Amino acid sequence: MLDMETPLRSSRLTNSSIASPNCISPPLSSCSSRLWRPAAQRNIKNQWSKLLMSKDRWVSATSEGRLHATELVNTYLKRRYLPEMNLGVLTEIPGIREKAYDKLAHKQDLCRCKLISSYKDMVAAVNDLGKASCSMRCYLKGSSSDPIIQYCDHQEDPSDSGDGGGIPVFCCLSISIMEDLARELVNMFERELSLKRFLVIGLLSINGVEDGRKDVLDWSNELYLGEFDELRCIGMLKQDSFYTVFPQIKDYQSSNPLNRTTIKSPNHNTLEVHLATWISDLNINMHRVKEIFSVVEEEMRAKLS
Amino acid sequence: MTVMLKKLQQKYARVKDEMVRWDELQSQMLSQFGNGASIINRLQVLNVDKNYDALEVLPGIKETLLGKQIETLEMIFISLTELMKEFHRIVLSLDKIARDANQLLREATPYQMQLCVGTQPSLQQCLDGLNTFHKMHKSEFLLKSSILSSLMLKYFKCSADDVATLRQLLVDQPNIPKDEVQTIFDIILPKVADDGLTGR
Repeated sequence: MLDMETPLRSSRLTNSSIASPNCISPPLSSCSSRLWRPAAQRNIKNQWSKLLMSKDRWVSATSEGRLHATELVNTYLKRRYLPEMNLGVLTEIPGIREKAYDKLAHKQDLCRCKLISSYKDMVAAVNDLGKASCSMRCYLKGSSSDPIIQYCDHQEDPSDSGDGGGIPVFCCLSISIMEDLARELVNMFERELSLKRFLVIGLLSINGVEDGRKDVLDWSNELYLGEFDELRCIGMLKQDSFYTVFPQIKDYQSSNPLNRTTIKSPNHNTLEVHLATWISDLNINMHRVKEIFSVVEEEMRAKLS
Repeated sequence: MTVMLKKLQQKYARVKDEMVRWDELQSQMLSQFGNGASIINRLQVLNVDKNYDALEVLPGIKETLLGKQIETLEMIFISLTELMKEFHRIVLSLDKIARDANQLLREATPYQMQLCVGTQPSLQQCLDGLNTFHKMHKSEFLLKSSILSSLMLKYFKCSADDVATLRQLLVDQPNIPKDEVQTIFDIILPKVADDGLTGR
């Protein structure tokens, strides 16, 4: 789990008290906690609404991606079996097979673009999830001797951990528990994003393998311009080696897939397994996701929207 | 007599409502069954190692994928079971309608039972129709429930053909022949009475 965190994000985390339970920040005076609370509550509500929106964005991006992936696969199979297909009376039309072949190739290109754009949406959704999960804390703005107490989202005083001294924000959950819940969500989606990336690469390369082209994609390729920057933000790019974290299923250990993402014999069955993997969201436990959101809603006594 | 007939014909309006509901459930059942069928067919493909191709580099893929698909299938089974409960409720309701009608006609003489006036049906025909509807739906319910239970118990052994056959049986509803249903309604609710009902 930890190897998925970037150095960047983990450093952000070690600042907080949850990383080391021993260093709990001194409890705020009752006056400042009275003022801190409403500000923190507003922020928490905002961040959880963002988490929910990003989750929904993910869900629609994956289901669109599923449609494009399915269409891509179907077009590929049609194109592949076109030479043996019995065209009946149409056989007499000159160049019919070639034309059909070109049309299907064109359609396949379109599907590839659409699949990449769905993937891009998924990356953006996970990016937003990650950002919201790291913005739960509410820090004191300016010095505490200022006549007007204000709060902000970044740490100004190193002794201020932004969690109100660990007091519950609403009724029982402290900031660090809220962060744990958010991180649990983010971890699931990050893993799934990596798995989807693996599938996208495989699906994008299916006809390249047939044509014996050399330019088939592998794990180290950038799928669209700026992908690596976004993955770096999420923490899915290992900065030193310039490698995106390896795809994995739940807690099973896996290794660098390198160029083993290509589907060696793309046929009806292997492609069906790929599509089934796409729809199954193997790393996301949807019951748990729902549960987390409902725990938070219950805590806030409000519906997230 | 006429009052009696009116009452019985009103019962047919309730039967009609129940049958409309039955059709709704039937289409829900077919769509759920279709979802289940595609998972069952997929399970065969997912069971073969070589179909994983590139995905083989991911440890745990087969177990997890099969697990997830079976979990989804079980959810579908649960909702099918819920639908069966609804079907059963309709069977019970049709049973009650028929029994109430029987109760209502306890005092009628054989002559009254057989009497036909104009295009109106006899009381006996009304009673028989209600009993027939109950029997049809009860047998169909039993058929559906045995189809589903055999699927739920043996889905991992079912071939695509087996599943398709079961589906066809569900679609056909052999115990509720459409023309026979229509004939009964035509007899019991000749045009005049039909208008009266729709105007209700």
